[in-house]
Amino acid sequence: MFKELSPKKISMSEWSEQFKEIDTKTIKKFTYYNNKDWGVYLSPPATFMVYGVRELKRLKFDNSLASLRLWGFVFNESERLFRAKQSGKKIVATLGDLGTIPTIVMAFPDCIPFYPECIWWTPFFNESTVLLDTASELGTPEAACFSRATLAAFYKKAYFPKPDILFASSGASCDDYSCIMQLVEDLGYSPIWLEIPYRRRSRSYFTTDEYERTLSGLEYPKRFEHYLTNEYKKVWKEMAELTGIHDLELLRTSIKKVNRLRMLVEKIKELGNEAERAPFPALEMMVIEFGNLYGYADLDEWLDILEMVYQTIRGRVQHKVGVLSADAIPIAWVTPSAEPYLLNLVEDMGCRVVETEYVIHQALVEIEEDIDPFHALARSFLNASLIGSTEERVSRIRDKVHAGKIAGVLITNMLGCSHCAMETRLIEQKLNTVPVLSIDVPAPFAVTEQIKSRIAAFVETMKWAKS
Amino acid sequence: MGEILTPRERFGLLVIDEKPDRCNILPLVTSHAAHVAGVKLKEYYTDGETMARAQIVAYEEYGHDAISIFSEVGIIAEAMGSDFDYPDEDLPILKTPALIKQKIDDIKIPNPRRDGRLPVYLEAIDYAYQAIGDKVPILAYIPAPFTTGMMLSDAHQFLIQTIREPDKIHKIMKKSLDAAIQSCYGIIDAGGLPILVDPLASSSVISPKAYRDFALPYEQALIDFLHRYDFDVILHICGETEPILGLILESGADLISLDRVELSLAIQRLSKKLRIIGNFDTSAIAFSSSRDIKDKVIKMVKQGITSEKGYIAATGCEVPIRAPFENVKTFIKAAKEVAWYWE
Repeated sequence: MFKELSPKKISMSEWSEQFKEIDTKTIKKFTYYNNKDWGVYLSPPATFMVYGVRELKRLKFDNSLASLRLWGFVFNESERLFRAKQSGKKIVATLGDLGTIPTIVMAFPDCIPFYPECIWWTPFFNESTVLLDTASELGTPEAACFSRATLAAFYKKAYFPKPDILFASSGASCDDYSCIMQLVEDLGYSPIWLEIPYRRRSRSYFTTDEYERTLSGLEYPKRFEHYLTNEYKKVWKEMAELTGIHDLELLRTSIKKVNRLRMLVEKIKELGNEAERAPFPALEMMVIEFGNLYGYADLDEWLDILEMVYQTIRGRVQHKVGVLSADAIPIAWVTPSAEPYLLNLVEDMGCRVVETEYVIHQALVEIEEDIDPFHALARSFLNASLIGSTEERVSRIRDKVHAGKIAGVLITNMLGCSHCAMETRLIEQKLNTVPVLSIDVPAPFAVTEQIKSRIAAFVETMKWAKS
Repeated sequence: MGEILTPRERFGLLVIDEKPDRCNILPLVTSHAAHVAGVKLKEYYTDGETMARAQIVAYEEYGHDAISIFSEVGIIAEAMGSDFDYPDEDLPILKTPALIKQKIDDIKIPNPRRDGRLPVYLEAIDYAYQAIGDKVPILAYIPAPFTTGMMLSDAHQFLIQTIREPDKIHKIMKKSLDAAIQSCYGIIDAGGLPILVDPLASSSVISPKAYRDFALPYEQALIDFLHRYDFDVILHICGETEPILGLILESGADLISLDRVELSLAIQRLSKKLRIIGNFDTSAIAFSSSRDIKDKVIKMVKQGITSEKGYIAATGCEVPIRAPFENVKTFIKAAKEVAWYWE
């Protein structure tokens, strides 16, 4: 059995060395969909590197068995989706909503939701422009954000199987991604379109509206809850027709399971962020946070992995050990980076990520279990990061800045991403009581010395501000 | 139909039991790449960057679906102490097998980053991986223990020992297995997918019984090792294989590359469990007319793509070093005419 070592970030080659110590029984113990033939996923980073994930050669990873499970599981997702389809499960693409529709889909037995847009990480992990070039050939403008890789993936049919059904959420969301979803439709797919409302608060003009608050305290016009409820009922009806099942108790059960995931991730984040030393690296933490969207296509196994991560982190916190030095500077990270290497780099240069705003706030909050499930889903989605004001989006970070828990803010600005273009400057202004650095995430494999210098200057500024 | 997938995407689908746009097309362009790139053979097999660049030139010229880092099957034996001659315009020639000079117990397990020309291979893999690894699988041929064992020994004596002194052979096999595993560690970390090659275990060289007793168990062990990494393992045995088709099924390989066997027979007996690779006659690619090659390739590929678990259109063995370029191009073009799975 694998013996846990002192926590540290290690290279792919170091993981290969550690992997030699793992016995075959342990490797075979962990499977997705409980399938012993093709469901084994506990491979070292080198395996995925050999199959084309080239960035793994220069990334660093946490050295725990929990981390190995996490990475193996995440990098197996493409195969997992194909295996799901081969074994008769229904594959459901849930484009654009980021967090809620999968809860409905997972209520139906043997239905697997996934987010095609998560393919935006692939060009960076693969250090490849294959998908981006193909997307351009298919008509996306060069200025569209990296999520345009999604279009190429639909075209190539090599990254996920043809979905049995597609739900595409548009509206108060990324408009460049809405454009990409339209192009997916042009390829011959037939998405079921849903509209996302904007969470406005203009009481002075819309005087007749009733207002409500989400559990997180965000105010919204009550009729939007009803509107979204109807949209989700539409999803339910489509799924019921696809599967021939219509049992609302299954939805309640699904909400409970999703809540279990969300609460567990919240515990992991809290424990990690409050610890004396960072117990887990920022890159793995980002992967964990995004797992809240849909559990990487096998929620049960993902939950099991997270339990192991939680135990690992808890042990490290108890022993006051971690993967970064104790004097790492606490920062908040705004907008997820499509380039995973940046998360490694920022830590290597002396920072520690203690708060995030990765545009998926709606997937992190608890769904109410004691009200009508569709209303509960609507109310949880109304917490979404991108459907309200920038002021609301940055409020959690500002609270922590005021509490002295954050020394600086890093914004990774995604080129071509509509909300980044509009919001990044605003966020800079709203959080300017501490040093704020916004960097444009460059094309795959193109992090320059200039970017490194800017991060180094950001670190120096924070140190100076502290002293 | 136009090409939709890159070779890597195509191979990726094959190994998860999905049919890609068309079957992978992979004439085994190994040292022939030196001929395509116009470099001396000796430079090809003694300089990693040259080997990689030659492979990339060949890939760009032919448009096949993987590159093959390989020169000859003595590579591990050499790192274990066998001496070779290195002619300018030919492949290395075994001069003095290690076991002529040393006892098996004295032979060291090689370090792939240091010993013999294994570092040349690693450099070639690394270079090719960085250059085109996002689009093209980098296949790195690794001699299986039986083949290495024979390259450590006087061949005649080795074959006699399989009958008279089997324990000695097993001892050689165990050491060769360890050496192969160590080599695989280096290959994997450099970015290559190890392909096991065991030409000296074919029925052209040894009996099915000798294969079962001395080659198969060590192929199995090496394949088990690679399965720990969740790799889909290609086993290549050129020469005659019909008498051992049933035994090959027991190897645990996921893809089998065959040479001299009726393709229909291989499909019938193996294709439910294994993806089939093969098996165009390499002397034909060297000496036949374009017309003849085209007709035979089309017939082969039409048959091959009926394989249940998937198929790679390939030559049965390495493309001969000086095979005419036009013949290789004809092979690929003809295969591309009929290789499509997607409408």
